Amino acid sequence: MLSLANVQVVYGRAIEAVRDVSLEVEAGAIVALLGSNGAGKSTLLKAISGVLHPEGGEIVGGTVTFLGEEIGRATPDDIVRRGLIQVPEGRALFATLTVEENLLMGGFTRRRSEVAEGLDRVYALFPRVHERRHEISGYLSGGEQQMVAIGRALMGRPRLVMLDEPSLGLAPQIIDGIFETIVTLNREEKLTVLLIEQNAQLALEVASFGYIIENGRIVLDGAAEKLRANDDVQEFYLGMSGGARKSMRDVKHYKRRKRWLS
Amino acid sequence: MDFLLLLVSTGLVTGAAYGLIAMGFALVYKATGVVNFAQGELMMLTAYVSFSVADRTGLSFLMLMALTIPISMAIGLLLERIFIRPMLGEPVFSIVMVTIGLAVILRGLVILVWGPDPAVFDVGLPDTVIRLGPVPFYPAQLVLVAAMAGVTTIAWIFLRFSRIGIAMRAVAANETAARLSGISVSRIHAFAWMFSSAIASIAGVLFAANFKLAPDMWFQGMKSFPAVILGGLDSVIGASVAGLVIGVVENLFQGYVGQGMREISGFIVIVVVLMVRPYGLFGSREIERV
Ligand SMILES: Nc1ncnc2c1ncn2[C@@H]1O[C@H](COP(=O)(O)OP(=O)(O)OP(=O)(O)O)[C@@H](O)[C@H]1O
Ligand SMILES: [Mg+2]
Repeated sequence: MLSLANVQVVYGRAIEAVRDVSLEVEAGAIVALLGSNGAGKSTLLKAISGVLHPEGGEIVGGTVTFLGEEIGRATPDDIVRRGLIQVPEGRALFATLTVEENLLMGGFTRRRSEVAEGLDRVYALFPRVHERRHEISGYLSGGEQQMVAIGRALMGRPRLVMLDEPSLGLAPQIIDGIFETIVTLNREEKLTVLLIEQNAQLALEVASFGYIIENGRIVLDGAAEKLRANDDVQEFYLGMSGGARKSMRDVKHYKRRKRWLS
Repeated sequence: MDFLLLLVSTGLVTGAAYGLIAMGFALVYKATGVVNFAQGELMMLTAYVSFSVADRTGLSFLMLMALTIPISMAIGLLLERIFIRPMLGEPVFSIVMVTIGLAVILRGLVILVWGPDPAVFDVGLPDTVIRLGPVPFYPAQLVLVAAMAGVTTIAWIFLRFSRIGIAMRAVAANETAARLSGISVSRIHAFAWMFSSAIASIAGVLFAANFKLAPDMWFQGMKSFPAVILGGLDSVIGASVAGLVIGVVENLFQGYVGQGMREISGFIVIVVVLMVRPYGLFGSREIERV
Protein backbone atom coordinates (compact mmCIF):
# COMPACT_ATOMS: atom_id res chain seq x y z
CA MET A 1 0.00 0.00 0.00
CA LEU A 2 2.75 2.39 1.07
CA SER A 3 6.24 1.72 -0.09
CA LEU A 4 9.46 3.64 0.34
CA ALA A 5 12.49 2.88 -1.80
CA ASN A 6 15.91 4.20 -0.86
CA VAL A 7 14.54 7.39 0.62
CA GLN A 8 17.08 9.98 1.69
CA VAL A 9 16.20 13.14 3.62
CA VAL A 10 18.44 16.11 4.23
CA TYR A 11 17.85 19.14 6.47
CA GLY A 12 19.27 22.51 5.52
CA ARG A 13 21.05 20.98 2.52
CA ALA A 14 23.61 19.51 4.92
CA ILE A 15 22.34 17.30 7.72
CA GLU A 16 21.37 13.86 6.51
CA ALA A 17 18.61 12.65 8.85
CA VAL A 18 17.36 9.68 6.84
CA ARG A 19 19.49 7.69 4.45
CA ASP A 20 18.54 4.95 2.08
CA VAL A 21 15.37 3.84 3.84
CA SER A 22 13.18 1.25 2.14
CA LEU A 23 10.05 -0.07 3.75
CA GLU A 24 6.74 -1.57 2.87
CA VAL A 25 3.34 -1.32 4.53
CA GLU A 26 0.87 -3.91 3.23
CA ALA A 27 -2.83 -3.07 3.12
CA GLY A 28 -4.60 -4.12 6.32
CA ALA A 29 -1.41 -4.52 8.35
CA ILE A 30 -0.09 -2.83 11.46
CA VAL A 31 3.58 -2.15 10.86
CA ALA A 32 5.85 -0.86 13.61
CA LEU A 33 8.81 1.46 13.08
CA LEU A 34 11.02 1.45 16.13
CA GLY A 35 14.01 3.52 17.06
CA SER A 36 15.49 5.63 19.82
CA ASN A 37 15.64 9.42 20.10
CA GLY A 38 16.91 11.17 17.03
CA ALA A 39 16.87 8.02 14.89
CA GLY A 40 14.91 9.76 12.16
CA LYS A 41 11.43 8.34 12.74
CA SER A 42 9.53 11.62 12.76
CA THR A 43 11.60 12.89 9.87
CA LEU A 44 10.53 9.89 7.83
CA LEU A 45 6.85 10.50 8.61
CA LYS A 46 7.17 14.18 7.73
CA ALA A 47 8.76 13.17 4.46
CA ILE A 48 5.87 10.84 3.67
CA SER A 49 3.30 13.53 4.56
CA GLY A 50 5.08 16.14 2.48
CA VAL A 51 5.62 18.60 5.33
CA LEU A 52 9.41 18.73 5.41
CA HIS A 53 9.75 21.91 3.44
CA PRO A 54 8.76 24.45 6.15
CA GLU A 55 11.39 22.90 8.43
CA GLY A 56 14.08 23.19 5.82
CA GLY A 57 14.04 19.50 5.00
CA GLU A 58 13.93 17.85 1.61
CA ILE A 59 13.67 14.39 0.10
CA VAL A 60 16.83 14.26 -1.99
CA GLY A 61 16.66 10.66 -3.14
CA GLY A 62 14.41 7.65 -3.50
CA THR A 63 10.71 7.26 -4.08
CA VAL A 64 7.59 7.25 -1.93
CA THR A 65 4.67 5.34 -3.46
CA PHE A 66 1.14 5.18 -2.10
CA LEU A 67 -1.52 3.02 -3.76
CA GLY A 68 0.69 2.66 -6.77
CA GLU A 69 1.31 6.37 -7.29
CA GLU A 70 4.44 8.34 -6.59
CA ILE A 71 3.74 10.97 -3.93
CA GLY A 72 7.24 12.22 -3.21
CA ARG A 73 6.44 15.61 -4.74
CA ALA A 74 2.77 15.82 -3.78
CA THR A 75 1.46 18.63 -1.57
CA PRO A 76 0.37 17.76 1.99
CA ASP A 77 -3.32 18.37 1.23
CA ASP A 78 -3.13 16.12 -1.81
CA ILE A 79 -1.57 13.38 0.32
CA VAL A 80 -4.33 13.73 2.92
CA ARG A 81 -6.97 13.52 0.18
CA ARG A 82 -5.45 10.27 -1.02
CA GLY A 83 -6.10 8.83 2.44
CA LEU A 84 -2.60 8.89 3.92
CA ILE A 85 -2.91 10.72 7.22
CA GLN A 86 -0.54 11.31 10.10
CA VAL A 87 -1.15 11.74 13.81
CA PRO A 88 1.87 13.87 14.67
CA GLU A 89 4.23 13.47 17.59
CA GLY A 90 3.06 15.16 20.78
CA ARG A 91 -0.52 15.38 19.48
CA ALA A 92 -0.12 18.83 17.93
CA LEU A 93 -3.73 19.81 18.46
CA PHE A 94 -5.00 23.25 17.50
CA ALA A 95 -4.71 24.24 21.16
CA THR A 96 -6.84 27.38 20.96
CA LEU A 97 -9.68 25.62 19.14
CA THR A 98 -12.41 23.56 20.76
CA VAL A 99 -12.32 19.78 20.53
CA GLU A 100 -15.07 19.75 17.93
CA GLU A 101 -13.34 22.44 15.86
CA ASN A 102 -10.22 20.27 15.88
CA LEU A 103 -12.25 17.38 14.53
CA LEU A 104 -13.93 19.57 11.91
CA MET A 105 -10.52 20.64 10.67
CA GLY A 106 -9.52 16.98 10.40
CA GLY A 107 -12.35 16.72 7.90
CA PHE A 108 -11.28 19.84 6.00
CA THR A 109 -10.74 17.91 2.78
CA ARG A 110 -14.06 16.06 3.06
CA ARG A 111 -17.59 16.87 2.01
CA ARG A 112 -20.12 18.17 4.51
CA SER A 113 -22.01 14.87 4.69
CA GLU A 114 -18.79 12.93 5.25
CA VAL A 115 -17.80 15.33 8.02
CA ALA A 116 -21.11 14.81 9.84
CA GLU A 117 -20.69 11.06 9.53
CA GLY A 118 -17.11 11.28 10.71
CA LEU A 119 -18.09 13.22 13.83
CA ASP A 120 -20.63 10.54 14.79
CA ARG A 121 -18.04 7.87 14.25
CA VAL A 122 -15.34 9.56 16.33
CA TYR A 123 -17.77 10.34 19.16
CA ALA A 124 -18.93 6.71 19.17
CA LEU A 125 -15.32 5.56 19.32
CA PHE A 126 -14.34 8.02 22.07
CA PRO A 127 -17.30 8.89 24.33
CA ARG A 128 -14.89 10.96 26.42
CA VAL A 129 -14.17 13.19 23.43
CA HIS A 130 -17.90 13.64 22.91
CA GLU A 131 -18.29 14.78 26.53
CA ARG A 132 -15.59 17.38 26.11
CA ARG A 133 -16.39 18.49 22.57
CA HIS A 134 -17.07 22.13 23.45
CA GLU A 135 -13.91 22.62 25.51
CA ILE A 136 -10.72 24.30 24.37
CA SER A 137 -8.55 21.37 23.35
CA GLY A 138 -5.39 22.83 24.88
CA TYR A 139 -6.79 22.30 28.36
CA LEU A 140 -7.52 18.59 27.95
CA SER A 141 -5.42 15.90 29.64
CA GLY A 142 -2.72 14.19 27.60
CA GLY A 143 -4.79 11.06 27.08
CA GLU A 144 -7.82 13.01 25.97
CA GLN A 145 -5.64 15.04 23.62
CA GLN A 146 -4.30 11.88 22.04
CA MET A 147 -7.85 10.69 21.45
CA VAL A 148 -8.71 13.99 19.80
CA ALA A 149 -5.56 13.76 17.66
CA ILE A 150 -6.52 10.27 16.49
CA GLY A 151 -10.12 11.37 15.99
CA ARG A 152 -8.96 14.35 13.95
CA ALA A 153 -6.98 12.03 11.67
CA LEU A 154 -9.96 9.68 11.31
CA MET A 155 -12.11 12.64 10.19
CA GLY A 156 -10.03 12.76 7.01
CA ARG A 157 -11.12 9.17 6.19
CA PRO A 158 -7.66 7.66 6.08
CA ARG A 159 -6.85 4.39 4.39
CA LEU A 160 -3.50 4.37 6.11
CA VAL A 161 -2.86 6.21 9.33
CA MET A 162 0.64 6.94 10.61
CA LEU A 163 0.94 7.40 14.36
CA ASP A 164 4.05 9.11 15.69
CA GLU A 165 4.67 7.87 19.24
CA PRO A 166 1.07 7.80 20.45
CA SER A 167 2.23 6.58 23.87
CA LEU A 168 4.46 9.61 24.47
CA GLY A 169 4.04 10.96 27.99
CA LEU A 170 0.93 8.94 28.82
CA ALA A 171 0.15 6.71 31.80
CA PRO A 172 0.23 2.93 31.11
CA GLN A 173 -3.53 2.56 31.53
CA ILE A 174 -4.24 5.31 29.03
CA ILE A 175 -1.72 3.82 26.60
CA ASP A 176 -3.52 0.47 26.78
CA GLY A 177 -6.77 2.16 25.85
CA ILE A 178 -5.19 3.96 22.91
CA PHE A 179 -3.55 0.79 21.61
CA GLU A 180 -6.79 -1.13 21.98
CA THR A 181 -8.50 1.47 19.84
CA ILE A 182 -5.79 1.18 17.21
CA VAL A 183 -6.20 -2.58 17.05
CA THR A 184 -9.99 -2.27 16.88
CA LEU A 185 -9.78 0.20 14.01
CA ASN A 186 -7.39 -2.12 12.21
CA ARG A 187 -9.51 -5.24 12.68
CA GLU A 188 -12.97 -3.82 12.22
CA GLU A 189 -12.47 -1.02 9.77
CA LYS A 190 -9.55 -2.48 7.86
CA LEU A 191 -7.48 0.59 8.67
CA THR A 192 -3.83 0.12 7.76
CA VAL A 193 -1.43 1.45 10.40
CA LEU A 194 2.18 2.55 10.45
CA LEU A 195 3.03 2.81 14.12
CA ILE A 196 6.09 4.67 15.34
CA GLU A 197 7.25 3.90 18.83
CA GLN A 198 10.17 3.98 21.19
CA ASN A 199 8.25 1.54 23.31
CA ALA A 200 9.08 -1.61 21.33
CA GLN A 201 7.36 -3.93 23.78
CA LEU A 202 3.99 -2.36 23.14
CA ALA A 203 4.40 -1.84 19.44
CA LEU A 204 5.55 -5.38 18.70
CA GLU A 205 2.55 -6.76 20.57
CA VAL A 206 0.07 -5.18 18.15
CA ALA A 207 2.14 -5.09 14.96
CA SER A 208 2.60 -7.94 12.53
CA PHE A 209 5.84 -6.61 11.09
CA GLY A 210 8.49 -4.24 12.34
CA TYR A 211 11.42 -2.12 11.23
CA ILE A 212 14.18 -0.81 13.43
CA ILE A 213 15.77 2.48 12.48
CA GLU A 214 19.01 3.91 13.81
CA ASN A 215 20.90 6.98 12.72
CA GLY A 216 18.59 7.35 9.77
CA ARG A 217 19.01 3.78 8.50
CA ILE A 218 16.87 0.69 8.75
CA VAL A 219 19.14 -1.70 10.62
CA LEU A 220 16.79 -4.61 11.11
CA ASP A 221 13.37 -5.74 9.98
CA GLY A 222 11.17 -8.80 10.28
CA ALA A 223 7.95 -10.29 11.53
CA ALA A 224 6.98 -8.95 14.93
CA GLU A 225 7.38 -12.24 16.78
CA LYS A 226 10.83 -12.71 15.22
CA LEU A 227 11.90 -9.27 16.33
CA ARG A 228 10.61 -9.92 19.81
CA ALA A 229 12.70 -13.07 19.93
CA ASN A 230 15.82 -11.37 18.57
CA ASP A 231 18.51 -11.07 21.24
CA ASP A 232 19.61 -7.60 20.23
CA VAL A 233 16.10 -6.26 20.16
CA GLN A 234 15.52 -7.81 23.54
CA GLU A 235 18.62 -6.22 24.90
CA PHE A 236 18.26 -2.76 23.43
CA TYR A 237 14.60 -2.16 22.97
CA LEU A 238 12.82 -4.49 25.34
CA GLY A 239 15.30 -3.96 28.15
CA MET A 240 15.41 -7.68 28.90
CA SER A 241 19.04 -8.17 29.85
CA GLY A 242 20.06 -5.07 31.74
CA GLY A 243 23.57 -3.86 31.01
CA ALA A 244 24.68 -0.57 29.56
CA ARG A 245 22.67 0.61 26.61
CA LYS A 246 24.97 0.50 23.66
CA SER A 247 24.12 1.18 20.09
CA MET A 248 22.90 -1.62 17.88
CA ARG A 249 25.91 -1.06 15.67
CA ASP A 250 28.31 -2.08 18.40
CA VAL A 251 26.84 -5.53 18.57
CA LYS A 252 29.30 -7.83 16.91
CA HIS A 253 27.10 -10.76 16.04
CA TYR A 254 24.57 -8.45 14.64
CA LYS A 255 23.68 -9.17 11.05
CA ARG A 256 23.34 -5.92 9.21
CA ARG A 257 20.81 -6.25 6.50
CA LYS A 258 22.25 -5.41 3.13
CA ARG A 259 19.59 -3.57 1.22
CA TRP A 260 21.42 -3.84 -2.05
CA LEU A 261 21.20 -7.62 -1.89
CA SER A 262 17.50 -7.82 -1.22
CA MET B 1 -24.04 70.93 23.95
CA ASP B 2 -22.24 68.71 26.38
CA PHE B 3 -18.49 68.95 25.67
CA LEU B 4 -17.79 65.43 26.92
CA LEU B 5 -20.53 63.92 24.78
CA LEU B 6 -19.15 65.66 21.72
CA LEU B 7 -15.62 64.44 22.42
CA VAL B 8 -16.83 60.88 22.93
CA SER B 9 -18.99 60.80 19.82
CA THR B 10 -16.38 62.24 17.47
CA GLY B 11 -13.86 59.95 19.17
CA LEU B 12 -16.04 57.00 18.29
CA VAL B 13 -15.99 58.07 14.64
CA THR B 14 -12.18 58.26 14.40
CA GLY B 15 -12.05 55.16 16.57
CA ALA B 16 -14.21 53.29 14.08
CA ALA B 17 -11.67 54.07 11.37
CA TYR B 18 -8.82 52.89 13.62
CA GLY B 19 -10.80 49.78 14.45
CA LEU B 20 -11.38 48.87 10.81
CA ILE B 21 -7.74 49.38 9.90
CA ALA B 22 -6.62 47.46 12.97
CA MET B 23 -8.88 44.55 12.04
CA GLY B 24 -7.06 44.27 8.73
CA PHE B 25 -3.73 44.08 10.57
CA ALA B 26 -5.06 41.51 13.03
CA LEU B 27 -6.57 39.25 10.36
CA VAL B 28 -3.32 38.93 8.45
CA TYR B 29 -1.31 38.59 11.65
CA LYS B 30 -3.61 35.92 12.97
CA ALA B 31 -3.48 33.73 9.89
CA THR B 32 0.10 34.32 8.76
CA GLY B 33 2.03 35.47 11.83
CA VAL B 34 3.22 38.53 9.92
CA VAL B 35 2.53 42.17 10.75
CA ASN B 36 1.67 43.64 7.39
CA PHE B 37 3.25 47.09 7.54
CA ALA B 38 1.61 47.92 4.22
CA GLN B 39 -1.91 47.76 5.69
CA GLY B 40 -2.26 51.56 5.79
CA GLU B 41 -0.96 51.79 2.22
CA LEU B 42 -3.38 49.08 1.15
CA MET B 43 -6.17 51.17 2.63
CA MET B 44 -4.93 54.22 0.74
CA LEU B 45 -4.51 52.36 -2.56
CA THR B 46 -7.97 50.78 -2.46
CA ALA B 47 -9.50 54.16 -1.54
CA TYR B 48 -7.85 55.76 -4.57
CA VAL B 49 -8.99 52.94 -6.84
CA SER B 50 -12.51 53.39 -5.51
CA PHE B 51 -12.15 57.14 -6.13
CA SER B 52 -11.36 56.48 -9.79
CA VAL B 53 -14.31 54.12 -10.08
CA ALA B 54 -16.63 56.72 -8.52
CA ASP B 55 -15.20 59.42 -10.77
CA ARG B 56 -15.96 57.44 -13.93
CA THR B 57 -19.30 55.94 -12.96
CA GLY B 58 -20.90 58.31 -10.41
CA LEU B 59 -22.39 55.31 -8.63
CA SER B 60 -24.45 55.50 -5.46
CA PHE B 61 -22.62 54.66 -2.25
CA LEU B 62 -23.79 51.07 -1.94
CA MET B 63 -23.12 50.30 -5.61
CA LEU B 64 -19.70 51.89 -5.29
CA MET B 65 -18.86 49.63 -2.33
CA ALA B 66 -20.30 46.60 -4.13
CA LEU B 67 -17.73 47.27 -6.84
CA THR B 68 -14.87 48.47 -4.63
CA ILE B 69 -14.83 45.47 -2.32
CA PRO B 70 -14.33 42.75 -4.97
CA ILE B 71 -11.72 44.87 -6.77
CA SER B 72 -9.87 45.31 -3.48
CA MET B 73 -10.04 41.59 -2.79
CA ALA B 74 -8.43 40.98 -6.17
CA ILE B 75 -5.72 43.53 -5.32
CA GLY B 76 -5.08 41.79 -2.00
CA LEU B 77 -4.78 38.41 -3.70
CA LEU B 78 -2.47 39.81 -6.33
CA LEU B 79 -0.16 41.49 -3.81
CA GLU B 80 -0.03 38.31 -1.72
CA ARG B 81 0.79 36.30 -4.80
CA ILE B 82 3.55 38.59 -6.00
CA PHE B 83 5.19 39.71 -2.76
CA ILE B 84 4.31 37.25 -0.02
CA ARG B 85 3.85 33.81 -1.55
CA PRO B 86 7.42 33.56 -2.82
CA MET B 87 8.56 34.25 0.76
CA LEU B 88 6.79 31.19 2.18
CA GLY B 89 9.12 29.37 4.54
CA GLU B 90 11.42 32.37 4.97
CA PRO B 91 11.92 33.84 8.46
CA VAL B 92 9.04 36.06 9.62
CA PHE B 93 11.43 38.97 9.90
CA SER B 94 12.25 38.82 6.18
CA ILE B 95 8.58 38.75 5.30
CA VAL B 96 7.92 41.77 7.51
CA MET B 97 10.73 43.57 5.67
CA VAL B 98 9.00 42.73 2.40
CA THR B 99 5.77 44.32 3.66
CA ILE B 100 7.73 47.45 4.57
CA GLY B 101 9.14 47.50 1.06
CA LEU B 102 5.67 46.96 -0.34
CA ALA B 103 4.44 49.92 1.72
CA VAL B 104 7.01 52.23 0.17
CA ILE B 105 6.21 50.97 -3.31
CA LEU B 106 2.47 51.55 -2.83
CA ARG B 107 3.04 55.10 -1.54
CA GLY B 108 5.08 55.88 -4.64
CA LEU B 109 2.54 54.22 -6.89
CA VAL B 110 -0.33 56.29 -5.51
CA ILE B 111 1.53 59.57 -6.08
CA LEU B 112 2.62 58.42 -9.53
CA VAL B 113 -0.91 57.57 -10.65
CA TRP B 114 -3.07 60.09 -8.81
CA GLY B 115 -0.64 62.93 -8.12
CA PRO B 116 0.51 64.49 -4.84
CA ASP B 117 -2.48 66.79 -4.21
CA PRO B 118 -5.43 65.92 -1.96
CA ALA B 119 -8.70 65.25 -3.75
CA VAL B 120 -12.33 65.49 -2.77
CA PHE B 121 -13.85 62.05 -2.83
CA ASP B 122 -17.61 62.16 -3.29
CA VAL B 123 -18.67 58.70 -2.19
CA GLY B 124 -22.32 59.41 -2.94
CA LEU B 125 -23.52 60.07 0.60
CA PRO B 126 -25.70 63.11 1.44
CA ASP B 127 -24.37 66.11 3.44
CA THR B 128 -27.45 66.71 5.56
CA VAL B 129 -26.67 66.68 9.27
CA ILE B 130 -28.45 64.01 11.27
CA ARG B 131 -29.11 64.56 14.98
CA LEU B 132 -28.91 61.62 17.34
CA GLY B 133 -30.21 63.17 20.55
CA PRO B 134 -28.14 66.29 21.13
CA VAL B 135 -25.24 65.20 18.92
CA PRO B 136 -25.07 66.17 15.24
CA PHE B 137 -23.51 63.72 12.81
CA TYR B 138 -22.76 63.71 9.12
CA PRO B 139 -24.14 60.64 7.34
CA ALA B 140 -20.59 59.59 6.43
CA GLN B 141 -19.71 59.50 10.14
CA LEU B 142 -22.64 57.30 10.97
CA VAL B 143 -21.93 55.03 8.01
CA LEU B 144 -18.35 54.65 9.21
CA VAL B 145 -19.46 53.58 12.67
CA ALA B 146 -22.13 51.29 11.24
CA ALA B 147 -19.65 49.75 8.79
CA MET B 148 -17.31 49.02 11.64
CA ALA B 149 -20.06 47.36 13.65
CA GLY B 150 -21.14 45.39 10.58
CA VAL B 151 -17.65 44.24 9.64
CA THR B 152 -16.92 43.26 13.24
CA THR B 153 -20.06 41.14 13.40
CA ILE B 154 -19.39 39.48 10.04
CA ALA B 155 -15.77 38.82 11.01
CA TRP B 156 -16.87 37.26 14.28
CA ILE B 157 -19.38 34.96 12.60
CA PHE B 158 -16.90 34.10 9.86
CA LEU B 159 -14.05 33.19 12.22
CA ARG B 160 -16.29 31.33 14.58
CA PHE B 161 -18.44 29.25 12.27
CA SER B 162 -17.22 29.13 8.68
CA ARG B 163 -14.92 26.38 7.47
CA ILE B 164 -12.35 28.83 6.14
CA GLY B 165 -12.63 30.97 9.28
CA ILE B 166 -11.96 28.02 11.60
CA ALA B 167 -9.14 26.96 9.29
CA MET B 168 -7.59 30.42 9.72
CA ARG B 169 -7.57 29.95 13.46
CA ALA B 170 -6.21 26.43 13.01
CA VAL B 171 -3.34 27.70 10.88
CA ALA B 172 -2.64 30.33 13.53
CA ALA B 173 -2.64 27.67 16.25
CA ASN B 174 -0.41 25.11 14.55
CA GLU B 175 0.73 25.42 10.97
CA THR B 176 2.21 21.95 10.62
CA ALA B 177 -0.86 20.30 12.12
CA ALA B 178 -2.96 22.33 9.70
CA ARG B 179 -0.95 20.98 6.77
CA LEU B 180 -1.29 17.46 8.14
CA SER B 181 -5.06 17.96 8.23
CA GLY B 182 -5.09 18.79 4.54
CA ILE B 183 -5.48 22.54 4.95
CA SER B 184 -3.54 24.38 2.27
CA VAL B 185 -1.72 26.96 4.38
CA SER B 186 -0.79 29.14 1.42
CA ARG B 187 -4.43 29.32 0.37
CA ILE B 188 -5.43 30.35 3.88
CA HIS B 189 -2.75 33.06 3.79
CA ALA B 190 -4.15 34.26 0.47
CA PHE B 191 -7.66 34.36 1.94
CA ALA B 192 -6.41 36.43 4.87
CA TRP B 193 -4.86 38.97 2.52
CA MET B 194 -7.99 39.04 0.45
CA PHE B 195 -10.32 39.69 3.38
CA SER B 196 -7.98 42.13 5.04
CA SER B 197 -7.80 44.04 1.79
CA ALA B 198 -11.61 44.15 1.63
CA ILE B 199 -11.70 45.59 5.14
CA ALA B 200 -8.95 48.05 4.19
CA SER B 201 -11.05 49.33 1.29
CA ILE B 202 -14.08 49.91 3.50
CA ALA B 203 -11.87 51.76 5.96
CA GLY B 204 -10.18 53.72 3.17
CA VAL B 205 -13.31 54.88 1.38
CA LEU B 206 -15.05 55.90 4.59
CA PHE B 207 -11.97 57.59 5.99
CA ALA B 208 -11.65 59.57 2.77
CA ALA B 209 -15.34 60.44 2.90
CA ASN B 210 -15.01 61.73 6.46
CA PHE B 211 -11.63 63.38 6.30
CA LYS B 212 -9.78 63.59 3.00
CA LEU B 213 -8.30 61.61 0.19
CA ALA B 214 -4.59 62.37 0.11
CA PRO B 215 -1.34 60.48 -0.47
CA ASP B 216 -0.46 60.78 3.22
CA MET B 217 -3.46 58.69 4.22
CA TRP B 218 -1.19 55.70 4.77
CA PHE B 219 -0.16 57.32 8.03
CA GLN B 220 -3.51 56.24 9.46
CA GLY B 221 -2.06 52.73 9.37
CA MET B 222 0.63 53.79 11.85
CA LYS B 223 -1.90 55.67 13.94
CA SER B 224 -4.02 52.53 14.18
CA PHE B 225 -1.14 50.60 15.60
CA PRO B 226 -1.96 51.28 19.26
CA ALA B 227 -5.36 49.73 18.59
CA VAL B 228 -3.75 46.65 17.06
CA ILE B 229 -1.49 46.16 20.07
CA LEU B 230 -4.21 46.99 22.56
CA GLY B 231 -6.56 44.52 20.90
CA GLY B 232 -3.97 41.82 21.25
CA LEU B 233 -2.46 41.70 17.75
CA ASP B 234 -4.13 38.44 16.82
CA SER B 235 -7.66 39.25 17.89
CA VAL B 236 -9.79 40.61 15.07
CA ILE B 237 -12.68 41.49 17.35
CA GLY B 238 -10.28 42.91 19.94
CA ALA B 239 -8.80 45.19 17.29
CA SER B 240 -12.16 46.71 16.49
CA VAL B 241 -13.08 47.34 20.14
CA ALA B 242 -9.59 48.68 20.84
CA GLY B 243 -9.94 51.05 17.88
CA LEU B 244 -12.97 52.64 19.50
CA VAL B 245 -11.19 52.87 22.86
CA ILE B 246 -8.15 54.57 21.32
CA GLY B 247 -10.32 56.97 19.29
CA VAL B 248 -12.23 58.10 22.37
CA VAL B 249 -9.16 58.31 24.59
CA GLU B 250 -7.33 60.43 22.03
CA ASN B 251 -10.22 62.84 21.85
CA LEU B 252 -10.53 63.10 25.61
CA PHE B 253 -6.82 63.76 26.01
CA GLN B 254 -6.99 66.43 23.35
CA GLY B 255 -10.08 68.01 24.87
CA TYR B 256 -9.04 68.01 28.49
CA VAL B 257 -5.24 67.91 28.47
CA GLY B 258 -4.09 69.63 25.33
CA GLN B 259 -3.53 69.40 21.61
CA GLY B 260 -0.09 67.76 21.68
CA MET B 261 -1.37 64.98 23.91
CA ARG B 262 -3.55 63.56 21.17
CA GLU B 263 -0.70 61.99 19.26
CA ILE B 264 0.89 60.26 22.21
CA SER B 265 -2.17 59.32 24.20
CA GLY B 266 -2.76 56.13 22.24
CA PHE B 267 0.72 54.96 23.02
CA ILE B 268 0.33 55.87 26.69
CA VAL B 269 -2.77 53.68 26.79
CA ILE B 270 -1.01 50.68 25.31
CA VAL B 271 1.95 50.98 27.64
CA VAL B 272 -0.38 51.05 30.62
CA VAL B 273 -2.56 48.20 29.36
CA LEU B 274 0.33 45.98 28.37
CA MET B 275 1.79 46.31 31.85
CA VAL B 276 -1.41 44.86 33.23
CA ARG B 277 -2.33 42.49 30.40
CA PRO B 278 0.70 41.51 28.29
CA TYR B 279 -1.53 39.84 25.68
CA GLY B 280 -3.60 42.95 25.08
CA LEU B 281 -7.27 43.17 25.89
CA PHE B 282 -8.34 40.20 23.79
CA GLY B 283 -5.15 38.53 22.60
CA SER B 284 -4.75 34.83 23.11
CA ARG B 285 -2.14 33.85 25.61
CA GLU B 286 -0.23 30.73 24.65
CA ILE B 287 -1.89 27.61 25.90
CA GLU B 288 0.88 25.46 27.21
CA ARG B 289 -0.04 22.06 28.41
CA VAL B 290 1.27 18.67 27.49
N1 LIG C 1 14.28 20.83 11.42
C1 LIG C 1 15.44 20.16 11.56
N2 LIG C 1 16.60 20.72 11.15
C2 LIG C 1 17.77 20.06 11.29
N3 LIG C 1 17.89 18.83 11.80
C3 LIG C 1 16.77 18.22 12.23
C4 LIG C 1 15.49 18.85 12.14
N4 LIG C 1 14.57 18.00 12.63
C5 LIG C 1 15.23 16.90 13.02
N5 LIG C 1 16.56 17.02 12.79
C6 LIG C 1 17.59 16.01 13.07
O1 LIG C 1 17.27 14.84 12.38
C7 LIG C 1 17.51 13.70 13.18
C8 LIG C 1 16.26 12.87 13.29
O2 LIG C 1 15.26 13.57 14.01
P1 LIG C 1 13.81 13.00 14.21
O3 LIG C 1 12.99 14.05 14.86
O4 LIG C 1 13.32 12.46 12.93
O5 LIG C 1 14.07 11.80 15.23
P2 LIG C 1 13.05 10.83 15.93
O6 LIG C 1 13.46 9.46 15.57
O7 LIG C 1 11.65 11.20 15.62
O8 LIG C 1 13.37 11.07 17.46
P3 LIG C 1 12.39 11.16 18.73
O9 LIG C 1 12.14 9.75 19.14
O10 LIG C 1 13.18 11.90 19.74
O11 LIG C 1 11.15 11.85 18.31
C9 LIG C 1 18.00 14.22 14.52
O12 LIG C 1 19.40 14.12 14.52
C10 LIG C 1 17.59 15.65 14.54
O13 LIG C 1 18.50 16.43 15.27
MG1 LIG D 1 10.11 11.85 16.69
